[in-house]
Amino acid sequence: MSTDVRIPLSYRIPWKKIVLYVLAVGFALYLVLPFYWIVAMSFMHEVDAISVPPHWVPTHPTLENYLGFVRPNAAQELVGGRAVSETPYSLRNSLVVATATAVLNLALATFAAYSFSRLKFRGSQVLLVLYLLTRMVPGIAIIIPFYLLMRSFGLLDTYLALILSYTTFALPITIWILKDFFRSVPRELEEAARVDRCGWFRTMWTVFLPVAAPGLVAAAVFAFMTAWNEFMFALFLTSTKAAKTIPVVAANFATDFNTQFTVMAAAGVLAVVPPLLLALLFQRKLVQGMAAGSVKG
Amino acid sequence: MVAFAERRPLGDNAKAWALNAPAIAVIALLVAYPIGYSFYVSLQKNNLKRPRAKRFIGFDNYKALLSDQAFLSALKVSALFVLVVLGLTVVLALILALVLNERFRGRGLLLSLALLPWAMPGVVNGLMWRTIFDAKTGALNGLLQQLGLIESYHAWLTSGTGAFLFTALAQVWNTLPFSVIILLAGLSTIPSELYDAATVDRAGAWRRFTEVTVPWLLHPLLIVLILETMNAFRAFDTIYVLTGGGPGDATTTIALLDVQTVLTFTDFGLGSAYAWVITAITLLISVGYIGLLYRKGNFEV
Amino acid sequence: MELTRRHILKLTGLGLAGPTLLSACSNDSSSGGGSGDGSVKFEGWDYEAALVQQNLDRFTKNSNVKVNYTPITSAQYVQKVVAEFTGGGGADALYVYDDSLAAWVEGDYLQPLDGMAGVDEVYNAIYPGNAQAMTYDGKRYGLPYYTDATCLTYNAGILAQAGISKPPASLEELEAQALKIKKAGLLEYPIGLPAQLSDTWWSWVWALLFGSGGNMFDDQQNPIMNTSDTVTKDVFAWLQQAATKSKVIDPASLQLLPVPVDNAMKANRYAYTIGARYASRDYNDPAKSKAAGKIRMGLVPSLDGKEHGTVSNTRMYGLAKDTEVKDNAFKLLTYLGGYDDQKQPYTAKFWFLQRGLGFAYKAMVNDPTITAALKKFADPKIYTHLAEIAKPRNVLGVPWYTEFETEMHKVVQGVLSNQTQPSAAVAALAKSAETLKKKYS
Repeated sequence: MSTDVRIPLSYRIPWKKIVLYVLAVGFALYLVLPFYWIVAMSFMHEVDAISVPPHWVPTHPTLENYLGFVRPNAAQELVGGRAVSETPYSLRNSLVVATATAVLNLALATFAAYSFSRLKFRGSQVLLVLYLLTRMVPGIAIIIPFYLLMRSFGLLDTYLALILSYTTFALPITIWILKDFFRSVPRELEEAARVDRCGWFRTMWTVFLPVAAPGLVAAAVFAFMTAWNEFMFALFLTSTKAAKTIPVVAANFATDFNTQFTVMAAAGVLAVVPPLLLALLFQRKLVQGMAAGSVKG
Repeated sequence: MVAFAERRPLGDNAKAWALNAPAIAVIALLVAYPIGYSFYVSLQKNNLKRPRAKRFIGFDNYKALLSDQAFLSALKVSALFVLVVLGLTVVLALILALVLNERFRGRGLLLSLALLPWAMPGVVNGLMWRTIFDAKTGALNGLLQQLGLIESYHAWLTSGTGAFLFTALAQVWNTLPFSVIILLAGLSTIPSELYDAATVDRAGAWRRFTEVTVPWLLHPLLIVLILETMNAFRAFDTIYVLTGGGPGDATTTIALLDVQTVLTFTDFGLGSAYAWVITAITLLISVGYIGLLYRKGNFEV
Repeated sequence: MELTRRHILKLTGLGLAGPTLLSACSNDSSSGGGSGDGSVKFEGWDYEAALVQQNLDRFTKNSNVKVNYTPITSAQYVQKVVAEFTGGGGADALYVYDDSLAAWVEGDYLQPLDGMAGVDEVYNAIYPGNAQAMTYDGKRYGLPYYTDATCLTYNAGILAQAGISKPPASLEELEAQALKIKKAGLLEYPIGLPAQLSDTWWSWVWALLFGSGGNMFDDQQNPIMNTSDTVTKDVFAWLQQAATKSKVIDPASLQLLPVPVDNAMKANRYAYTIGARYASRDYNDPAKSKAAGKIRMGLVPSLDGKEHGTVSNTRMYGLAKDTEVKDNAFKLLTYLGGYDDQKQPYTAKFWFLQRGLGFAYKAMVNDPTITAALKKFADPKIYTHLAEIAKPRNVLGVPWYTEFETEMHKVVQGVLSNQTQPSAAVAALAKSAETLKKKYS
């Protein structure tokens, strides 16, 4: 895939820039304002956060809401402090689960996607659709049998149960992302390597995968997000801070007795930061990696 | 290192299946059984809290759906929800992707911002919008009042239409980034020669868009349509936190009803039947999209 | 075919993983309670889990019985317990909502306590409404955790500012008082009710019905709200009037869960709400509430201004049917819900003193420490009187209760937002009850 794919500017019309900037600013506000509001709240005292009219900037900024997560005493003072005290654990759990899901997904999907992009084989179309079909069945249909299955494996309230389920959720989509991207990798690369008498695995490792890196990044980030954001299976499969993920704890904030808006906002911000950093870190590769979706086969 | 590609001891067929084996094994082991089992359960009268009343009833659960008011209403709400969410998502994502595909100062920042909602779990998204739409202290009320657009605070989520629209908006915000990335990625691969040619033809901006951009984007659009339809049909977290399905049935989508049926009412049999109807609908719609694009000669899986 | 743990094991063993897994799984420590040392697996929703643990530690110290306590998110408590028992191996002892009792007995999760040591004694000492709520099909299934009666909670400070000295006895009076407060410019909407859809019951609707002497069902659980009993319709008509004509009920109620209503009461933003008695403890706590000292309890206002009653709920401790540590589990149950060696309901007192949770034991109100604690947030006379006149919902025993309650929430939302007329609302409720009945027959 060529790296220089910028569109020429030759067809610009004079007022285009204005439209462009208006749209850009509009979108920027739309995207950031809702999040800004909970960030601002997370640095406010409860009184300021619920004041009418609202204070758009924290007038008496405080770190109390965040410090409460790491200071067990402060957490216990709040009624319903359990969600607060579990927040740091849930962040750790979410990180472990999402990272492991991304890695496992990549390992499994790379092989499968390669077969679709390079080999003509009977049943390939059916298999692709079958993969996707497993994603069309709503999670709620399988949650009880899945729960019982995990129970019989003795995996309830463990990372493994979550990693395994999220891997199966993300796999169909990551296979699609990767197969499209792999198709855009020129076959000549591998053929050249083959002439050099590299083995297939070696060819993959040293030649093919590095070129396919953007696709791999896109797939990994997708899998990570799937795992990070999932709620219902996490709710069912976990029960203690040993494995509860951040959406489960966040939901506790919603139902808990007496949760403060500001503490909830702080937890919300913490829930967004790690995946956001990941996405920002890889944003260039992410776009390149998804690009293959439009490559004609 | 085994050189199994090189020596070709296996045909393409065998090799392909071998490469797929790990993925198939994981899926088969973990979800194939629950999926099959849920279909079997959908043929049962099976309420978990009444194990003694359990029996096989064939397709009775499915037949009952035709006169099931809750189901029909939820189906209607879902159809509308999918339409609104999908429509808004595609339009907004396309515009944003077109903007991002240009060169301007701050493009990098805008792209970063566009990724932001993706990082937000649905539950957190619901909580966030709940504080924003809050009737007493919400930011939306504050903002509109300061702008002079409303006189006093409104309870936005208390009318059926209001709750539906605001829930849809919250959902769109959350699901936008993925579509933007796919479309932007698609745009970035359009060979510049195509535009050059169109410019030579003195085609206007709109014609360039419809004749060059759109056809080239069909495949990524297809992916966006399929995935977002699936997502919108299964949307649960945000709605659950934001309205719980109310007021009345206004935001009780089929996914929400299904969760309620299985988890709150513990009616595993009926809930599984609901789920299979959702599956069938999603599948049909996906096949429809594919067929539509296939006819345009633009599709290959 | 029974969906039991054994069955699942067989399926996984045969179909998916081979026989070795089967033997590995049968050592699964999460099954039953039997990890061999007689420890009791105990589950409850996660209200004040740290305090629960503290109390359990005391039990273990005194009795040498280990307890494995798992708090479960309250919003998903019922679902998770059902899933666990369906999988064959729930807890040995657990919290039970009166709403779930019938289903959990029918599902073979729980065993009756009749004839076990001290159970009769407990049932004789508690309010009849609580005893009734813990009894199903003539058998006793629980020892009381806590109970509450629903009451009118009002802010005497706001009432006084509007020149009102007495809480309303009738609904008409309530509306008039609220209008007075509204007209005085004190509050835009003086009445707030938690009316967002959720999985918990709406005690205030039941309280309004029972408060006016009405009911939605007769003793055979036939719906009567659309036929012989007109109270439901009249109460709905009042609600609609107060919400949409005189506009004294906050329209935002439809998006309020109980917690925001509590917060509003504490911030002097509502003058009236209808809810559990124990909420007043927080409302009157100066550390948590700006309204502290001004919140009072009253009887639920009725259509005719006379006293008829109110609704109560009961949360109990239940004993699993297939527990392998029955003796120890029952010891735990007795510690939590029964009498100790000094013939005192230790844990019930603990909860009242710590958190103001209502007690089922009639005699506790005469205990000086209890009265002293009670006086800090309520008038003991009204508090006790509410407990005496409260009765449980008489449809808790039907298998479709949860579905009906959910439907009722939606119908009431329709009434409050003026989308459903009272007569159509009661007709819809009756129809829904009949449909559910048929579905479950």
